[in-house]
Amino acid sequence: MSTDTQAPAADQPDADETPEQKPSFMRLFGRYLTEANSVMVTIYSLLLAFFIGGILLIVSDEYVRSTYTYFFARPQDALSASWYLVRDSYIALFEGAILNLSTLERYSAGTAEFGDLLRPLSETLTYATPLIFTGLAVGLAFRAGLFNIGAQGQMIFGMLGALIVGFALDLPPVLHLPLAVIAGALAGAAFGAVPGVLKATTGAHEVISSIMLNNIAALFLVWAIGTEFLHSETKSDLITKPVDESAVMPKLLSSLGESLRVNWALIIGVAAAVFTWWLLSRSTFGFRIRAVGFNEHASATAGMRIGSTYTTTMAVAGGLAGLAGAALSLGVGSSGVTTNTALEYGFDGITVALLGRANPGGIVAAALLFGALKAGALSAQPDVPVDISTLLQAIIVLFIAAPALVKAILHLRTPRGGLVTLEAKGW
Amino acid sequence: MAVDTMTASPALVDETAPVRYAKAGGVLAALGLLLLVIAFAVIDGGATTTISFDRTLTDVEWALPTTACVAVFGAITAAAGAWMLVGLPKRRFKLVSGIAVAAFVLGLLFWAYSQPGTVFRAESILAGALFLSLPYLFGALSGVVCERSGVINIGIEGQFLMGAFTGVLVANITGNVYAGMVGAMVAGLLSTMLLALLATKYQVNQVVVGVILNLLALGFTSFMYDQLKKAEGLNSAFTVPTLSWGPLADIPVLGPVLFQQKIFVYIGLVLVFVVWFLLYRTRWGLRTRAVGEHPAAADSMGVNVNRLRYWNVTLAGLISGFGGAWFTIANSLAFSKNMTAGLGFVALAVMIVGRWNPLGVLAGALIFGFTTQVARDLDAAGGALVPGEFLQMLPYAVTLVVVAGLIGKAKAPAADGVPYHPGDK
Repeated sequence: MSTDTQAPAADQPDADETPEQKPSFMRLFGRYLTEANSVMVTIYSLLLAFFIGGILLIVSDEYVRSTYTYFFARPQDALSASWYLVRDSYIALFEGAILNLSTLERYSAGTAEFGDLLRPLSETLTYATPLIFTGLAVGLAFRAGLFNIGAQGQMIFGMLGALIVGFALDLPPVLHLPLAVIAGALAGAAFGAVPGVLKATTGAHEVISSIMLNNIAALFLVWAIGTEFLHSETKSDLITKPVDESAVMPKLLSSLGESLRVNWALIIGVAAAVFTWWLLSRSTFGFRIRAVGFNEHASATAGMRIGSTYTTTMAVAGGLAGLAGAALSLGVGSSGVTTNTALEYGFDGITVALLGRANPGGIVAAALLFGALKAGALSAQPDVPVDISTLLQAIIVLFIAAPALVKAILHLRTPRGGLVTLEAKGW
Repeated sequence: MAVDTMTASPALVDETAPVRYAKAGGVLAALGLLLLVIAFAVIDGGATTTISFDRTLTDVEWALPTTACVAVFGAITAAAGAWMLVGLPKRRFKLVSGIAVAAFVLGLLFWAYSQPGTVFRAESILAGALFLSLPYLFGALSGVVCERSGVINIGIEGQFLMGAFTGVLVANITGNVYAGMVGAMVAGLLSTMLLALLATKYQVNQVVVGVILNLLALGFTSFMYDQLKKAEGLNSAFTVPTLSWGPLADIPVLGPVLFQQKIFVYIGLVLVFVVWFLLYRTRWGLRTRAVGEHPAAADSMGVNVNRLRYWNVTLAGLISGFGGAWFTIANSLAFSKNMTAGLGFVALAVMIVGRWNPLGVLAGALIFGFTTQVARDLDAAGGALVPGEFLQMLPYAVTLVVVAGLIGKAKAPAADGVPYHPGDK
């Protein structure tokens, strides 16, 4: 009953909002800025995350902490030390990810190549490439109401699949590279389908089963690298044979400099995003995914097979994550795959999908942002702790997932359509 | 398999009438036959399995013929399976399936320990199993308290990490290991407080937020670990003494397992019964379970649903935070990045295996602890039949099988994971 009486009350402001003259642009803009709509929540999440990250940098730095011991005697010491620490850290991240200012100076003085100038951007794109795939893998499953935490494991199997085809077969480049990429996608799809099948047949929650499969995949990788079939013939440490020259992912910008690592996998990633967009919004299968994600009971009543939708969605998601693995093992070029090659791209895919709100376009943008964070953090260490990228990512998506929290902290207004959140089902 | 039990309404079920369990019986019979085949076709006829009592009776060693033992265990498993296929009284089902599974596991163990160089050191392995079951126990108990109140706590892994990190940090700063344990509990509490706030006040999706809180804990502890590494003596290992209960500790098998352990073991065992008592024998427990099953009904009886959920989830953090201290303090280790290695998720599976009941959780945790311990022991002995990595996969694989096999039948609290708006239904 209470909802009924609330409804007219909620309509009241709307009635007031239709005065004789139209509100000015600045007022509308100001209203937009103070509203918890998805664009502003994203922006405020980023700002809040960098703010909290700055505080954590300050409290965890030994020197800056020491200046706070005599804060009341000389506050300017503590404040300036804090300011410079945070400023320098974020500048270092920027320089590692987008544009190195000292290289720019050398370039304008004529002592650096144009390629050197592009290096940070190339690194950002290199780290963003697998994130596009894993972000899509998590995001696609999200649309079906599935929380695919297993992108890491699916990626590892994709990596192994592409690697094996990459060195074991002897083919011309036109055939070899596509075949290796497809092998990676298939391996990832096969591994990704497992939690889908388990959910469809036994009801096992995909979060637990895919976490277990991640752990199994990580251990399997360690074992697989050590086997005679995969292990490098020339090196003694844990590294595999390299893929053949004909299966190496060609670099995109090699004409501008050999150090520009960004390769064709980026193009495949963008294509995969377009494909996912088409799949979700233009295909029957995508309609089924979204219908099941909205309401599985209604979809079942409408005659859709829920179990097979879960399985195929997870298989396609696994295939996307497998492509990330293929991009990695075919992209490392003349060196082989180690246990470190996969990094944490699969887990980062979760944050990418959340920030991108499970939309292919948003996922590409989020992957670029987190790729930049990763490239920046890796190039700025050891001055800046490398895990600042993980930390910032987690804080950002925490706010994205809980827009009500951002709204409460910053006293924002509720937008007309309500707050946008992502849902995953419980047990 | 559930069909034949469902057709009869509960009031009409005759407890002594035989019921046929086709699926379970078939699987057990097949497993039993598999053991028999292994016993006679794979295992070398002269192989022996050695059992020793390495802590109390150091001079006793039993060398048992492997083929005969495995064959006996296989026969027991197969017979139990056959009985289920023929039909057995319903009240016997649990006991018989328990015996059959135990016999199958024992058969595998006898086979695994028949390799030359491997000795089943009964006392060390059982004591180690109890110790290794603790992270599962603490994590799952925390999960039980949360989920019985209707909040899914996928963030156990993160609470472990926070507890493990803070425990060592506080112990180093204060110089007192017990202060470290308290610090770990407080860190766990603060992590779950965030979950509780988001789950109740802001009504955020609990699975999504739990996963994000894990990432946050991983990022935070790794970041702080790198930063504090630069300072001396903030991450040194601390250790707690092993308590020995005088003459009780000398009893064969029981002594080393129960009366010669670290304080964590005793706290864990006591906690199981405390949580059980609180949940099933107190007013708080009744309200908690009501809030988890049917919050609207509890609300109409005057229970403040979201406040009770908030405090239950927050206090559950004390348990999972303490479980985090196990990783560092109980193991006498310094903190390292991501040292919990997914055990927080295994703890969730243990909670499901234990059917959201503290006593069931204890049983589940012991099974997982035993699996982990045997895998480690075989790995260390070197003569294992399979590579070490596959043995390390064992707890995860067992979780997978258990979750897939049980979750359909295991029933979560009805309102688990569903945010409650006062005024709903």
